[in-house]
Amino acid sequence: MALLEIRNVNAGYGKGPDILKGLSLEVEAGTSYCIIGPNGAGKSTLLKVISGLLPPRSGEVVFRDVPFNGARPDQVLASGICFVPQDQAVFPEMSVKENLTIGAYLEKDRSVIKERMERVFDLFPILAERASQDGGTMSGGQQQMLALGRALMIDPAVMMLDEPSLGLAPQIAQQIFSTIRELEALGITIVMVEQNAVRGLELADWGVVLDLGIVRFEGPADTILDDPRIRELYLGKAVGSGGTT
Amino acid sequence: MIEDRADAGGLEPEVVEAVAAPKGPGRSRWGVVAVLLVGLLLLPLSRPFIDSYNYTVLLATNGLMWIALASSWNILGGYSGYISLGHAVFLGVGGYVAAVPLFYYGVSPFLTALAGGLAAVALGLVAGLITLRTRGPAFIISTIALLFMFLLIFENIDYLGGTAGLPLPVVPISRDWLKAPFFYAMLIAAVGSIVLSYQVAHSKFGLGLRAIAEDETKAEVAGVPTRFYKIIAFALSAFWVGVAGAMWGYSLAFVRPTLFFTVAISAQMVLMAIIGGRGTVAGPVIGAVLIVAVNEFSLTQFGSSEINILISGVLLVTVLLFFPLGIVGTLREKRLLPAFLDWD
Amino acid sequence: MTEILQVTIFGLLLGGVYALFASGLTLAFGVMRIVNLAHAVFIVAAAYATFFAFEELGIDPLVSIIWLVPLFFILGVGLYMTFFVRIEGSPRYVEMTVLLTFGIAIMIEGLLGWRFTGIYRQTQPSYLTDAYFWGDYIVPAGQLYAALLSLILLIALWLFLRFTRVGYGIRATMQNRDAAQLVGVNVRRVSAISFGISTAFAGAGGAFMSYLFPFFPFRHWQWIALLLALVVLGGMGSLKGAVAGALILGVASSLVVDQIGAGWGPMAFYAALFGILLVRPQGLFGKEAVA
Repeated sequence: MALLEIRNVNAGYGKGPDILKGLSLEVEAGTSYCIIGPNGAGKSTLLKVISGLLPPRSGEVVFRDVPFNGARPDQVLASGICFVPQDQAVFPEMSVKENLTIGAYLEKDRSVIKERMERVFDLFPILAERASQDGGTMSGGQQQMLALGRALMIDPAVMMLDEPSLGLAPQIAQQIFSTIRELEALGITIVMVEQNAVRGLELADWGVVLDLGIVRFEGPADTILDDPRIRELYLGKAVGSGGTT
Repeated sequence: MIEDRADAGGLEPEVVEAVAAPKGPGRSRWGVVAVLLVGLLLLPLSRPFIDSYNYTVLLATNGLMWIALASSWNILGGYSGYISLGHAVFLGVGGYVAAVPLFYYGVSPFLTALAGGLAAVALGLVAGLITLRTRGPAFIISTIALLFMFLLIFENIDYLGGTAGLPLPVVPISRDWLKAPFFYAMLIAAVGSIVLSYQVAHSKFGLGLRAIAEDETKAEVAGVPTRFYKIIAFALSAFWVGVAGAMWGYSLAFVRPTLFFTVAISAQMVLMAIIGGRGTVAGPVIGAVLIVAVNEFSLTQFGSSEINILISGVLLVTVLLFFPLGIVGTLREKRLLPAFLDWD
Repeated sequence: MTEILQVTIFGLLLGGVYALFASGLTLAFGVMRIVNLAHAVFIVAAAYATFFAFEELGIDPLVSIIWLVPLFFILGVGLYMTFFVRIEGSPRYVEMTVLLTFGIAIMIEGLLGWRFTGIYRQTQPSYLTDAYFWGDYIVPAGQLYAALLSLILLIALWLFLRFTRVGYGIRATMQNRDAAQLVGVNVRRVSAISFGISTAFAGAGGAFMSYLFPFFPFRHWQWIALLLALVVLGGMGSLKGAVAGALILGVASSLVVDQIGAGWGPMAFYAALFGILLVRPQGLFGKEAVA
């Protein structure tokens, strides 16, 4: 039985057309997923639907056998799925410590919050160093770490990451990727959208190719990486850029 | 056009076509207009035939003025989506520009009404240069501030009569026909503003304004000179309000800051345009007629203008929440719009 | 020099009350992106409530704050749930809030005018004409009480935002609405509470208005014009900016009244608004342009 199931979901923005067109996907516990696909395939939209930011027009999201039925983001989060969006994920006028504290907004036990913050600081020593600095004044890579650290504060079962390496210098991106590996080791199920498809697939156990709002292919990440058709169709550019980094 | 605009993001080709190519006005539409116009032209001559002549003509004059005001407001607030809550400022400026020469030199406002309109346009240009540096809420706020700034200035200048304003002489004609010239003047203002509104709606300029309303950034990228267009729209939407102000002051036989520079007048314009259907040619006209009728009814029924204000507020909130497209827009969406109301 | 200092004292006292009036307005914009044109009519409504409590029951205006705050908090939450929840996510949302609150303002104004007529009112508590003396300077008692209580309320708000869980949620929503949702803030609940706080502050403000500034229903338009001007000056949505703007304009308008004439006081507000639009459209403390 899958941990998270997306069943036949249609979704889109405003009065616009469907971006997701009857998409279905199963996410197993303890596996990490990398979702790839061309621009406009619906990758970010899928994450927004799961997180509750965008209610689906039809279909449902089922987590641990319980359907969400249009749950609000805070309810989705409370059930154990957290989402780190692409950009502007931190609170610019709050300190690092406040940003982390608010990450555990749903947790009322102060000792638990303290414990988790220690764990985050162990994982990201830079955040401990800059605990009192305002989030908005940190560099892009540090903000991304802060966003990951904040997501950890809720102690999630599933962590969804939208383009965690976007706009970061190669070695910073490398750092983020190794952090993600550590998160996997903590037993968190990772669902990641990554523009740098090769890098993402190398990191993940399972690859999912999205195109035109549905799942085109899925399979073990290395199989996807090696599939000549997929390489040609979806990794063409990424192989080149992936090869140079 | 409303449903097209809602569906298409910005300057989709089919929208461009639909807006730019006016459908040939059907013959029946013009028939209705001709009948209405002839009826209106003859109304002031009906003195021997109806009992409540003065009341009828006064009410009609009032209705025509509000048609001019609401249609003018719609050019900015409807087409470009920039909501002005300060449009009463143009009514006041027009009123005073005509009242001062009359009070001090005896120059008839029928001669200076045009100057009132042009003064309003000039103010629109200057105010637009400053206020249209902003978008959205800050623009709306600055229009309110503009209105109150003018109220303050006019209340504090002795030459303009201060808070008491200026009393004006009555038109030097027989009392029997006193109402007729104002009726015709307001008829000109109403027809003029409707024609202007129609022209704008069916021009490339109007298309640019609609693009601004849809998505200003996209419009800018598509090459619409947004700032220039907005300022011109602001100025154009001031003209007939200024003319109407000149006439209104004369017909009341006085001008006074608190009567002209008041949010209540702005509020009525907004209400009429929105109830009728903003961004449409016919909407503000329908809205004006309807609201004047409602006001008249509640005034005779309850005898207090406070109830009027209450009703205006309830109407505005109800329409916004349940029929944001207004009468014309909603009817069009349901494909129930009669041809004589379809001018977009 | 003494005269200027005296005028500055008057201005600061006024500014303290303006800060209270404006903080609710800027909070509503900061958290919910609501430009609340009805904010001043809430204050006027509260002034009426204070007036009648004083006239009929002999309750002192300052004591009335105790029941006005919770009452207006509930009214605010109710209004939010009735009207603003419906327009969440509607296209051109901010503009919609302007029109909707415009309608609500007209409605309440009509209601007040119908019940209480258009005549001027002013509550006359005993301390209205009292004054303290500080050296050569006069400190009017009523204004001093109002300014001090405003200060206390503003500090309470600051502490609430700073140190409570809901306060955290409100600040998070102000800074980044999407991210706030993603850390588990129930944005709708936080919005309703913030709107409640905003109107509760209007309620407290009404108690001061009732004896400091003679009022009648239509008067709220003048107030909202002033308050919006000072909120734009400070930077829309910035509480710090609203307080700074209020103090600056309190003093500036007092100086204008002293130097130019009583009728010209509000001119300081409009001049500041148009000046700031020309120079720095995002306001003194705003991060983004008020677009």
